[in-house]
Order: sequence, then C-alpha cells, then structure tokens
Amino acid sequence: MDERIVVRLVLNGEERSFRVAPGRRLLDLLREDAGLTGTKEGCGAGECGACTVLLDGRPVPSCLVLAASCDGAAVVTVEGLGGPAGSHPFQRALVASGGVQCGFCTPGLVMTGAAVLEAGVTAPADQARLLSGNLCRCTGYVKVFEALRRAGEDGDG
Amino acid sequence: MAEPLGGRHPRPDAVMKVAGSARYVGDLALPGMLHAAIVAAPGAPARVVSLDLEPARAVPGVEAVLAAGDVPGANLVGTIFPDQPLLVEDRVRMVGDRLALVAARTPEAAWTAAAAVEPELEPLPGVHDPVEALEPGAPVVHESGNLVRTFRVRRNAGGDGAASAPVVVEAEYRIGGQEHAYLEPQGCLAIPESRSRITIVASCQCPFYVQHAVARVLGLPLASVRVRQAHTGGGFGGKEDYPSEVAACAAVLAFATGRPVRLIYSREYDLQATTKRHAMVVRHRWGADTDGRLLFAEVESFLDAGAYVGLSTVVAERANVSAIGPYHVPSVKVDTHVVHTNNLFGGAYRGFGAPQVTWAHEATMDRLARAVGVDPVEIRRRNLLTGESCTTCTGQELPSPVLAGACLDRATELAAAWTGSATVAPSPHLRRGTGVALVLYGCNLHHGGQFLDRSSAVVILQPDASAIVRVGLTEMGQGNLASAQTVAAQALGLDPSRVEVWEPDTATVADSGPTVASRGAHSTGLAILDAVRRLRRRLDPVAAGLLGCAPGEVELADGVARVAGDPSRAVPLERVLGEMTARRIETIATGWWRSRPRWFDEATGLGSPYETYAFACHVAQVAVDPELGLVRVEHVAAAHDVGRILHRDAIEGQIQGGIVQAMGWGLLERLELDRGRLLNPSFTDYLIPTASDTPEISMALLEDAPGAGPFGAKGIGEPSFIPTAAAIRNAVCDALGIEIDRLPFTPPVIVDALGTAHPFADLLD
Ligand code: FES
Ligand code: FES
Repeated sequence: MDERIVVRLVLNGEERSFRVAPGRRLLDLLREDAGLTGTKEGCGAGECGACTVLLDGRPVPSCLVLAASCDGAAVVTVEGLGGPAGSHPFQRALVASGGVQCGFCTPGLVMTGAAVLEAGVTAPADQARLLSGNLCRCTGYVKVFEALRRAGEDGDG
Repeated sequence: MAEPLGGRHPRPDAVMKVAGSARYVGDLALPGMLHAAIVAAPGAPARVVSLDLEPARAVPGVEAVLAAGDVPGANLVGTIFPDQPLLVEDRVRMVGDRLALVAARTPEAAWTAAAAVEPELEPLPGVHDPVEALEPGAPVVHESGNLVRTFRVRRNAGGDGAASAPVVVEAEYRIGGQEHAYLEPQGCLAIPESRSRITIVASCQCPFYVQHAVARVLGLPLASVRVRQAHTGGGFGGKEDYPSEVAACAAVLAFATGRPVRLIYSREYDLQATTKRHAMVVRHRWGADTDGRLLFAEVESFLDAGAYVGLSTVVAERANVSAIGPYHVPSVKVDTHVVHTNNLFGGAYRGFGAPQVTWAHEATMDRLARAVGVDPVEIRRRNLLTGESCTTCTGQELPSPVLAGACLDRATELAAAWTGSATVAPSPHLRRGTGVALVLYGCNLHHGGQFLDRSSAVVILQPDASAIVRVGLTEMGQGNLASAQTVAAQALGLDPSRVEVWEPDTATVADSGPTVASRGAHSTGLAILDAVRRLRRRLDPVAAGLLGCAPGEVELADGVARVAGDPSRAVPLERVLGEMTARRIETIATGWWRSRPRWFDEATGLGSPYETYAFACHVAQVAVDPELGLVRVEHVAAAHDVGRILHRDAIEGQIQGGIVQAMGWGLLERLELDRGRLLNPSFTDYLIPTASDTPEISMALLEDAPGAGPFGAKGIGEPSFIPTAAAIRNAVCDALGIEIDRLPFTPPVIVDALGTAHPFADLLD
C-alpha cells in the first residue's frame, strides 16, 4: 500500500510535484528528491540553521518542516536565490567581505540574511538577533555583519 | 593589476560556497551506494559478554553487518600509538567505542539496524579524573598503566630563586575540554574499485593520515589507497586524526559489500564520540622578587588523555613549550603528565595544549600583579622576553626582533581607544573589567613531529597562461586555497583568478604531512615557490630569447615576462607559454619543502623545538552581571605578530573566528560528563557563540618580524585562538575583584565563586 502524499511546490520559481512518505522532512525532499544539495544538514534538530530555506518568504529550518505540510507553498533554496553565480546582493557581499570560510553554514546564512534584508532590518543588534539561529563556527560573524551592511547599502544605492 | 600579496581578492572557494554548488561529502551520491551506521557502546568501561548481530541483519535493506573479526587488515586505528581498535574485541574503554558496523540501502535502515543490536556488556570500574587516575589502586584503563608519559622541562630547576623568592604565588587551575563543533559533521565516502584498490572522498584535514589508516585496516599498499579531500566544513583539529576512523569504517564496509559506502555522523554521535580538547589540571608555584620580576616557575599539569593516547603526547609537547608564556624566567621546572581515564579521548584542537597552559600562566601573572601591587600590564612589561633576555621555556634563544612587547603595546592602545559599547543595558549591579593575555606560539610542528614537517606541490602552466596548482595541505575554511593561490600568483606574476588551486588528492602529490599547527600557508606556500623556481629554469631562457635579454634578467609580473629594471621590454606570459608549448618544453614542475633540522633533548625538555615563534596579545573588555553570573564580552583588541600578510581577509577571518571560538570555550562550552558519557550532545545543551554574542573586535597586524614562511609569513590559525579565553578570565576577575580558577565561566561558576560577595549573598544564604 502506498501511503505517499503528493506535495506540489513552487520550488525556486518552478512548479514541481513530489510524492513523499508522511514523515519525510522538507530537507530530504530538497536534497534527495529534488537534488538540491546546496541546503545543508548540520544537526537535524533545528539548532544550527544550516538547512534554512525560504518557505513562502520566511526563513525556516527545513529539517523541522514536514514536506507533506508544504503543499502549495513557495520554497526558495540557495540555488534559487542567486543562481550558480551567487548573484544575490548578500551573496556578492559575502564574497567581497570575506565572510565565507568553510562554507557549510553559508547557504543557510545566505537565506536568513536575504530575509533580513528583504524585511529592511538595519539596526545591528536586531540583525544579530535575527542571525542568531544560524550558527557559524568559523568566522566569528564579524565579516558576515559587514556583508549584511554592505548589501543593505548597495540595495539602497 | 594590484599585487596579490597582502590583498583582499575574493577567496577562490567563496562563490561556490555562497551559491551552494560546493559539494561536501554528504552531497555526493553514487549509484548503488550504501549508507553506514555504527553500533556504539553506550557505557564504559565494560567487558563485552556477547554481541548478537542477528537483529541488525534482520532489518530490511541491510547488506552487511561486521564485527572485529571481519576487518581484513589490522583491526587498529590510532595515529601515533596502536592502542585503539577499529572495532572492539572484548574491552570497551570509552562511551562511543565501536562494536559493529552496518551498511544498508538507506540511512534509516542503517540506523534502525544499528539500534537493534543490544550488546551485553558487563560494567567495570572506571576512572574519570586524571589526578585520581594516578592514585594507587585506581582502575586501570590499559594494562600498560594510566600514566602514558610525563613530559619534563628542567632549566636551572631548583636554583637559588626557588628557595629565596620573596613573593610566591600558588594556584590550581581546572580547565575544561571543548568540542570542535565544526558545522559539517564527520563524513566519508568509500568507493571500492576492485579487491585491491579504493578511493576515499573525505571531510578531513589530513588526507595522508586517512590514506595510512585505510591501507592498514584493508591490508593494502599505500599506493592502492587514493584519498581525495572533499570540501570540508570546518576542522579546528577535529578533522585531524579522527577522520581516519570514519574512513576506516566506510572502507571496511565498502570492501565487504563491493559497493560505495557513505558514512555521515549524526550530530549527536559526533558530539558523543569524537575527540575533544583536553581537559587539564594545571598547578602553579611561581616566585618573584618584590618588584614582580619572575625568579622561578614550577608547573605541574595533568592532561586527561581519555581512553586512548590519540595525539595526547604531542599535545603535551606543545603545552610544555608554552607553559610559562612569553616571559623571562631564570629557573623553570615543568612536568606534564599524560594520563588515561575512561573519558572521551582528547585529540587535536586549535592551540594543541597551549590554550590551557596559557590560561593558567596568564591567571598567575594577574595573581602576581595583585600580590606585588602593580598593574597587570606593568607586571607583563617587567617580565616579557625582549632583545636582552630572550630565552624561552625550553632554553631557546630567540633572535631579534621579538614582538611580544610590541603586541602588548598595540593591543592596549587599541583597547584604550575603544569608545564603549551600546550593547549592554545599564544596570546598577553591572561591573566592567579589562584583562590582558599574551601568547608565545611555536610555528609549525614541534621537534618531535619534524619528520612530518614537509610539503609537496605541483605547478602546471597552461598554454593560455593560467596555472594549475596541486597541493598537499587542505582547505577546511581557514583559507589555505586563498593563501596558496596568492603565493602562486605573486610568484608567477599572474592575476589570482588565473591560478586554480585544487584540493589535495594523495594520488597527485607526495605525503605532505598533516594540515595542523598553523602550518598550511607556510608549508604549502614554500613548496609552491620551490616548484615555481624549477619551472623558471625552463621558462626564463625562453622568455629571455623573446625579450633579447639574459635569462637572469627576466622577471614575471602583471601577466607578462619583462626585463628587470626596464618594464617597457615585455612579452605577455601567454606568448612565452605558447613558445614553450610549441617547443615541447616541460611546463610542469614539482616543489618540495621541509623544515630545518633542530636540536631538542627529550630528557631535559631543552632545545629548539620550533624554528620560529609568533607572539600575540589580546585585551578583553567585559561587562559582568554579578546577580546572574552573566558575562558580556564587549570588546577584544588583538595584536598579532604575523610576519607577512598573504591574504588579508583570510588572516582577519582567522583572528575574528579564533576570538569568538575561544570566547565560547572560556564562557559557554561545558562538556557535561557523567562517567565519561556526554550529557549534553546537542547544540541546545552544548552552547556555542551565536551572532548575538560577538564582541566588537579591533586588530593590529604587525609585520616587523619576518617568519620562515613564504615572503616571511607566520601561522595565524592557532595564535588567533590561544590568548582570548585567558584575557576574558582576567577581565572578569578584574570586574569582580576575585580569582576564578575553573573554566568555563558559566553563570553558576561565577555566582559560586562570588560567595559572600554576591549581591544577594545574604538572601541566598
Ligand atoms: S540541520 Fe536544520 S537546524 Fe541544523
Ligand atoms: S563558515 Fe564555517 S561554519 Fe560558517
């Protein structure tokens, strides 16, 4: 008996349909069923933020989201944000500011940062609070903040 | 074109990482690939009474379940010492020890099968404290005894100073371990190619260690094991020795099934089972004259090696060299005992024993300052190594210039110039403090590891004047690709974007030793420069022919070959390479580097363990809420003796990241161990710093004392980490007016240490 559930998504701007087991995580749908391995798994427990994607525009940890609950939603992953060249302003600013080290936190950070910029949050303490769900063990976050500032300014100008 | 050296050109790995196209091990899959899981011991120590693997074999999708007897080669891992089985035969020594391995068609089936095994274990008495482990009658971890070895330094020990010093300070410091918390868990993909050769793709710092480990467990020649490093999501020492074990597991399963096998650790198992920074107990008895000038230092340390030796002996070697810091001390006695317990085994972690002993010596310097009534900065000035008195702990005479004093000056200036923070809300109880810490860091590998201190590179010039560079040291986030690219671009006169540095592959370069000890940029860079030198023996005559000059007059810059001193006479490098290609002149060269031989006497611990040293000073400014025991690090000023900046963003990133990681160790990161079992194996319970915790950071990079690296560079990966926690400790103690001698400073530790000085002490009573 096939218990699988049909999930229709607008995934990175494209209409897609998947058949998933009821317990399947959105993270696994993305990485395994859709082949989008840019989204990372650092903990599988909602603690690290490496798996962050935009679900109807809001950053969520995809390891905690059931794929079946996303029917009809729009999902954007790191691959969909700025394409293979990483051309979203925050991606470009991270490159220019040296805000990338091992890169494993980066895709998740990129998604949260893009949402922070989209929301127009500019106060440093608020930005820090919003980014605090994305752990980075390498950078100490300093150049990440610098990139957020730079992307915000570029966006304004 | 700006010179690549010291620049901020984008790191070569940055775009693929922001775009999500960099593939880590967990992103790689092959047709028919199986997934692995580990059956691990839940408690230790114990004797294995029985191990019934049938329940695992019965799980649908399972293809193989292996125990110790199934390992085709030697059932051994362990980088230095053959004391650790890949799979336990009869004796469990630590929680997480492997009992069996499973390969299945899905990760879920593999985990289910591993969980279905219920090993019958008979608990044995264990020992969990390194001091207790040396007491008579303590349970024995290995038959050889709990004391692995004592590492000593004896320099004028027991001289006059020890008997007659008017000021003596004594303390015992209890310093906790640390989890690396690299964001990417351990992982490996093993691809069997036949019964006699295998490819390993690993998240690792040391592909050559992995190569040796896999060859040993499979019983293959080294040449038949090819290890490619995948993009590696952080290491910090945690992917130095440990990935050998991960790869050995995957390789044994791959050989047994004839199929590719991928093993990715869950975060929980990763936290529970992998190596940690060593917990240490450090005892000090230091003496000084009434002005605070040091007369003697006695240091006795107990290093908790845990259940296996791992790299503990090598960690102790570095700890000894750093034991008294960058201070002039006429009489020194150091004993570092490496001791087995049944705790998780200690491994490499950024700083390698130096952060613990630095934390201790900087605490003692502040104690001494208070004992003689001088300022902590002044007490350091009076004792720092300078041009006149430059003998290190091990009796090594350092040549001038020694930048310890310059680092202290610059860091204190930066701290004084800091104008304050808006991040902490004012509170009537809030107290502020400032703390200073310095480090003496031996660059590269200690004398004991110098047989590994070598490096290989290959440079292949392309007809379009781009260059392929193959290196033996890894990129794990620290910027090794960026510094290698910078060095090659500088030496070849190319724009960095024309130089492609490929991640290590043991089939393309010779064994280059491990990527550790802040030696990546140094060893890689010098091997690249050697390869470029050899290439130029062939390139320069061709260019000279085109330029009409002597080969010795050719210089490479800005993408051209030109006549030195007459830049108007130039030909594009592309033309030179076209000519070389047409004439079938070899455009590939290998390069090699090895460190200079040094002298060191193991019995006395005296000699020249390192070729060069780097200094650093951090000043931390903190706000402490004594009611809650909460510490906010507001500002850290960092001055570093870096020799020469290769890539500016990479070096700044190392310092910023090192500071924040060390702040986590000093304040937050507590390994809650109950008889060797980690009670907090998650990022909810083991807290690492978040974006909200980051202090403001100012830094000064001093380039006045060239090191032995390419263009004079010195390592930065570890010195960036070592002093921070000590500076924070001293700042908190300054704010509260008390001594705290345990790390980390979690709120309960601070409240407890305040005792009757707590604002609500009367109520709490
Ligand atoms: S993997 Fe989802 S939060 Fe860590
Ligand atoms: S760059 Fe390594 S975890 Fe953020």
